[in-house]
Amino acid sequence: MRSRFLSRAVVVTLIATLGLTGCKNFHWPWQKRTGASAASPVGQPPPLVEGAGIPSGERPIVTGELTHGQFAPVYFDFDSGKIRPSEVAKLEAVAAALKGNSNKLVIEGHCDERGTAEYNRALGERRAQVAREKLVALGVGAGRITTISYGKDKPADPGHDETAWAKNRRCEFAVVKE
Amino acid sequence: MHAVRNSVLVVTLVFWSAAYAQSQVVVGVHAQKRPFAVTGFAGDPTVAGQLTEVLKNDVRLSGCLALAQSSEAEFVQQGNVRSDTGGLTIECAVTQTATKKTILSRSYPGSAQDLRRVVHVISDDIIKAITGQRGIAQTKIAFVWSRGKVKELAVMDYDGYTARQLTYDKSISVHPRWSPNGRKIIYTSFLQTFPDILEADLYTHQRRRVASFPGLNSGAEFSPDGLSIALTLSKDGNPELYTMNANGGGLQRLTHTPGAESSPTWSPDGQSIAYVSDDRGSPQIYLISKDGGEPTRLTVSPAYNTEPNWSHPPPGSEIKPMLAVTSRVGGRFQIGIYDSATREVVPKVADDADNEDPSWAPDGRHLVLAKTRQWRSRLYLLDVLTGEQVELPAIEGGASEPAWGP
Repeated sequence: MRSRFLSRAVVVTLIATLGLTGCKNFHWPWQKRTGASAASPVGQPPPLVEGAGIPSGERPIVTGELTHGQFAPVYFDFDSGKIRPSEVAKLEAVAAALKGNSNKLVIEGHCDERGTAEYNRALGERRAQVAREKLVALGVGAGRITTISYGKDKPADPGHDETAWAKNRRCEFAVVKE
Repeated sequence: MHAVRNSVLVVTLVFWSAAYAQSQVVVGVHAQKRPFAVTGFAGDPTVAGQLTEVLKNDVRLSGCLALAQSSEAEFVQQGNVRSDTGGLTIECAVTQTATKKTILSRSYPGSAQDLRRVVHVISDDIIKAITGQRGIAQTKIAFVWSRGKVKELAVMDYDGYTARQLTYDKSISVHPRWSPNGRKIIYTSFLQTFPDILEADLYTHQRRRVASFPGLNSGAEFSPDGLSIALTLSKDGNPELYTMNANGGGLQRLTHTPGAESSPTWSPDGQSIAYVSDDRGSPQIYLISKDGGEPTRLTVSPAYNTEPNWSHPPPGSEIKPMLAVTSRVGGRFQIGIYDSATREVVPKVADDADNEDPSWAPDGRHLVLAKTRQWRSRLYLLDVLTGEQVELPAIEGGASEPAWGP
């Protein structure tokens, strides 16, 4: 771990209370610090528990398992929500594969870390949607395709250089077998 | 007139760069710190030491007070702590040097386990006695805690201590926002694979789904009266701005553009919403009435402006509402304040790091931001009037997307 963190004189105490739902405890490394008591989390609310089932909401529930890796990701230019001409062949391959069955598809849109968090969620969504538009134009039924945007929260490559960033600006395709 | 407005808002007179960061020193009525002496607490030395340390930190973070020696102080604090059956009793008094008046003298029950909380109550009483304003010492900050591939929500005291984990979903939970009464946090959750907006009640410990339409559900923020939620949905095409009733229903679409809208933030009077749109290429900040209609573009430069957050200073405050944004300049993120008169974004935190995700404190003077250096994100507090930044205690992993509670 970074020595910079350990060398700091000031460390916050994070108290992980026992979960009523039986979740694993998270133990954050902490140092005993004057004024901070780690022993008894007095006066703090217990961790959140689920309500009696979160209601289903308006989205049609995708109940099948998502299988990644069947199709190559489609990559994007920096700050761009447009499909590069060189990437179109990948979408054609997805469309061709889907014609042979009735599987559903989830398109996940992603961004690299050089955009801000919430705007990147919108940009990632647009990348997923533009990929969906192309698939629909190639004959795939729109009702078969759902989009997810992760913004910059789920990089494919955790690196911090142009090679990594180029791999993170992408749409990934997940097939749903229900 | 602009002159009148600017005379109430602090005016930047001096600008210099320090060795570690650029900061604007703002000179004006509000930026002057009043010297305050903390003499500590008589009684058990260990407990007294803990109380004194937290109190001194609160004084430093207040913005309006500066620690000073008793001989030079405008106000002098003294106190004592003693054990009683069932816990501790902490007494604190503050006298005004010039008049020799006691402006605060109070007794506080506490225990060894919640000393920080008691001191924060004392600090807010001190601020109230001196300035008449509500202090920030008892406020909380929610944030996203990242560790590996998991992002959970956590809540900490405003000074960075006593962080407590809020979600245990082992998935991705992001973009927390508080309800105006501080009882609930709405956020974007990937708990069920798709980005939904969930609402967590901190008191009942229940969660409910707020929005789970096809596509993106994110960016949710409560209106100042707590009755509405503005949010980003992509169910009708591309990401657009919507409002809905906080208790469900009443969904209303506000924007209709080929571009992507996101990141709504409510005006203090709850009548309009500032948000991000990339309809004209790169993302900029726009304004729209809460009832929809024609949007107004606010920012024109720099080329990338996102993450607007509108301050809501308390009634009676001399500080005007401010719109903070995250701009990207030369590949780096910086926090700036939008000036509606000049349409410029005035940089407030611009250095060699990436500064993002501004969130205002309820005093309208402080904000919390995420500063990323060498790809590690830490939270910092900014006093907008003095330009001073304070790094909050580090936690393992990363901290981002902070939201300052009411």
